Amino acid sequence: MLGALLTVACVVFVARPLLRTARTGEEPLEGANPAEQIRVRALERRDRALAALKELEFDHRTGKVSDEDYRALVGPLRREAAEVLRELEHEDRPEREGVKADVHG
Amino acid sequence: MAKRRNPVRLVVALSIAAVLAIFLIWTSLAGGTPSLQPSQLAGKTGEVGLAGIVVGPVDEAEDESRLEFTLRDIEGEATVPVVYTGSVPDLFKVGREVYVKGKLVDGTFVATPDSLVTKCPSKYAPES
Amino acid sequence: MPELGRAALVAAFGLILYAVVVGSYAAWRGRRRLLDSATNALFAAFAAVGVASLVLLAALARNDFSLDYVARLTSRELPNGYTLAAFWSGQEGSLLLWLFVLTGAASAAVALNRRLVREVLPWTVPIIGGVALFFAFLLVVVASPFDTQAAPADGAGMNPSLQNPYMIAHPPMLYLGYVGLTVPFAFAMAALASRRVDERWIVVTRRWTLAAWTFLGFGVLLGAKWAYEEVGWGGWYAWDPVENAALMPWLVATAFLHSVMVQEKKDMLRVWNVILVAGAFALSLFGTFLTRSGVISSIHSFTQSSIGPFFLGFIAVVAAFSIALIITRLPQLRSKTRMESLVSREAAFLYNNLFLVALALTILWGVIYPLVSEAVRGVAVSVGAPYYDFFAIVFGLPLVLLMGIGPVVAWRRASLRSLARQLAWPTGVALAVGVLLLAGGAGSSPAGLIGYTLGAFVLTTIVLEFVRGTRARKSIGTGGWWPAFSGLVARNRRRYGGYVVHASIVLLLVGAVGIGGFSSSREVRLDRGEAAEVGDYRVVYTGSSEQRGANAQEVRAHLEVFRDGERVGTMEAGKNSYFAEEQTSNEVGIRTDWLRGEDLFVIADRFFADGSVQLDVIVNPLVNLIWLAGLVFVLGAAVAMWPDAREQRRLAQRFAGEGALARA
Repeated sequence: MLGALLTVACVVFVARPLLRTARTGEEPLEGANPAEQIRVRALERRDRALAALKELEFDHRTGKVSDEDYRALVGPLRREAAEVLRELEHEDRPEREGVKADVHG
Repeated sequence: MAKRRNPVRLVVALSIAAVLAIFLIWTSLAGGTPSLQPSQLAGKTGEVGLAGIVVGPVDEAEDESRLEFTLRDIEGEATVPVVYTGSVPDLFKVGREVYVKGKLVDGTFVATPDSLVTKCPSKYAPES
Repeated sequence: MPELGRAALVAAFGLILYAVVVGSYAAWRGRRRLLDSATNALFAAFAAVGVASLVLLAALARNDFSLDYVARLTSRELPNGYTLAAFWSGQEGSLLLWLFVLTGAASAAVALNRRLVREVLPWTVPIIGGVALFFAFLLVVVASPFDTQAAPADGAGMNPSLQNPYMIAHPPMLYLGYVGLTVPFAFAMAALASRRVDERWIVVTRRWTLAAWTFLGFGVLLGAKWAYEEVGWGGWYAWDPVENAALMPWLVATAFLHSVMVQEKKDMLRVWNVILVAGAFALSLFGTFLTRSGVISSIHSFTQSSIGPFFLGFIAVVAAFSIALIITRLPQLRSKTRMESLVSREAAFLYNNLFLVALALTILWGVIYPLVSEAVRGVAVSVGAPYYDFFAIVFGLPLVLLMGIGPVVAWRRASLRSLARQLAWPTGVALAVGVLLLAGGAGSSPAGLIGYTLGAFVLTTIVLEFVRGTRARKSIGTGGWWPAFSGLVARNRRRYGGYVVHASIVLLLVGAVGIGGFSSSREVRLDRGEAAEVGDYRVVYTGSSEQRGANAQEVRAHLEVFRDGERVGTMEAGKNSYFAEEQTSNEVGIRTDWLRGEDLFVIADRFFADGSVQLDVIVNPLVNLIWLAGLVFVLGAAVAMWPDAREQRRLAQRFAGEGALARA
């Protein structure tokens, strides 16, 4: 008796999403959207560059990296971080425009 | 992507090769003591490892720390009497598989003291 | 009641099968609603397995011997705690526990990352379902805990060696570890299946991996403590295949844990990481297989166990699946960044990977070799401690050295000069310690001496890290030492938690070397009143007594202990003869000197009719550092795992755009 009840409960629970009316439409899942992937990778690069800068500062302050090593390394790291940030801005702008269009359009 | 000779790769490959070499040398030279079963004991002199199933009766000598029992082939009928002195591990029981080192002397296996080991029993496998 | 249990398992099997089949189709074709349905099936399966588990627990609690499983593993005399723990002390029940934890973890992991799984990693559901499917299959078709029989009057009872708190906790800990590793594995393979090579799967499963690794490591130590006290031969780790079964995945998981840091920071070692996670998972399956299939006794008894061949088949499937996925994604996975220098932190992590994997493979070979030899040459061999000890030293000591050097060497390319400056103090301290120990007689074990020297080296680097970090923070802040210190740790939980874990490994090393290299023992037969002397101790045998315990006849030798001439206490050592199980176990006497960390360890080998007793008296120096190391280990891991609100916010922001962009 209990078993039968539980079985019915399971079946209902499992079938629910299938029976959901297409409010959001029979939307397919986005697979590996290339544009999205590029953006994620860019964000990763940004985070990585910023984290590396932070780590370099900390290592320098704790004495792990000497003054001259620090001077040699900080330049390229800063440049890379700036570059990634610039890239992201470029990407963001068209996207922001697109969203605005959706909202107002 | 240009394939440049990367020194790190070379070092890595050499280390792996070195490790493999150590492996093979060790296992072929020292690798494991042969563990025999009662049926394979005949004619062997010198110290060997003996593995088998404990078969009763198990006799404890009255006045000495000595145990006498019989070991049987894991998958056979051949048996050999064993005389053992020393620590007896917890899991020792008739029907368990044990491993002991020693020498065959006049048809009796005289064990090296304290060399008795029971395999950590697979508590999950069916008792055979 | 058993029918309900059986039905629940069949239902679980059906639900998981649905999740796998429908989930795969949904992931392949990109059908959102089907994926949601499959996910729900996974949740429902967890509920069904929960019902089955409750049925088994209830049967155990009621001593329902009509269940074959209950009758085989418990008896009326068995204390309640152990009766309930019998849930996992036998084959079928332990499989049920596995499945319960697995479906639970799968549900939690998917639920917590619902959006991610839906939008980005849909294959997670069928993959993790696939693993669950295997266990559900075993439980329904091959090894059901709900087989019934005519109920006997009493059960056969629990193996006396298992009646010990450590042995009770040991399997669940290990399962949490094994199952925990399934989660990063599933996410990693799902990422590969969706052709994603970014680090997202690492980020979301980071704490799962860390938690699983902690449970696994702690579980290994629990097993060792059990072996030390219960099996009682005087040692703590015998390199027995069942012990190695859990150690191997832990070693590979350790490599994985470290290696992912390089992917996060430098986007390198990507191929390594997927191989390591698949390897860790495969080894945990292999470990489970080893302890169950009877294959260890003899390759011929392997097929006698019903589930052995299935496990082997499943491991082969998992291996083939992972290898295929990795190879087909290899071009994308390969990192574009090259390693610039052999002396850099990237390289240090690489060496770390190599040594850990090498050690794991060595142990694997040691476990398999007897089976291979028997199958190929027909000659059974047994691989003993010397083999394992040799490689543990050969690979272990460099690993200890890396623990000291790694945190200090710079990324990309370290200048030898700054490295030398950083390591000047640690090297000095290490040499001083080494010389002192040598003078103190530690030269009797050269490997031990080197181990201690390296340990001092590592501990010094760790202390310096904390000191330098705190000083740096204090110099830019306004607070005192404590706020600087706590702020330092709070802002860098992974790093400083990790340092604490490294310290625990050094503690473990010190303890292991102590007991392995510097212990002493004596075997004597004593009459009443006679004494034995070992080390600084004198043990006097004052007599023996017998009594009837809850489920065993207990006989004990009473001993008085003197240290350096002073009476320091009493202890007992003896044997228990269990009624139902018809077995005798050694109950060793252990007297712990907390200040020195050493143990006086007495085994009562034999009680003679004339009242004399044969004793094995052992002194194990520093052994308690091993157990202390376990606690420090968990502490460090907890710090490293502690949720960090700032980090969560940053990651949420990074991934907020995903999915939304897709729909825009």
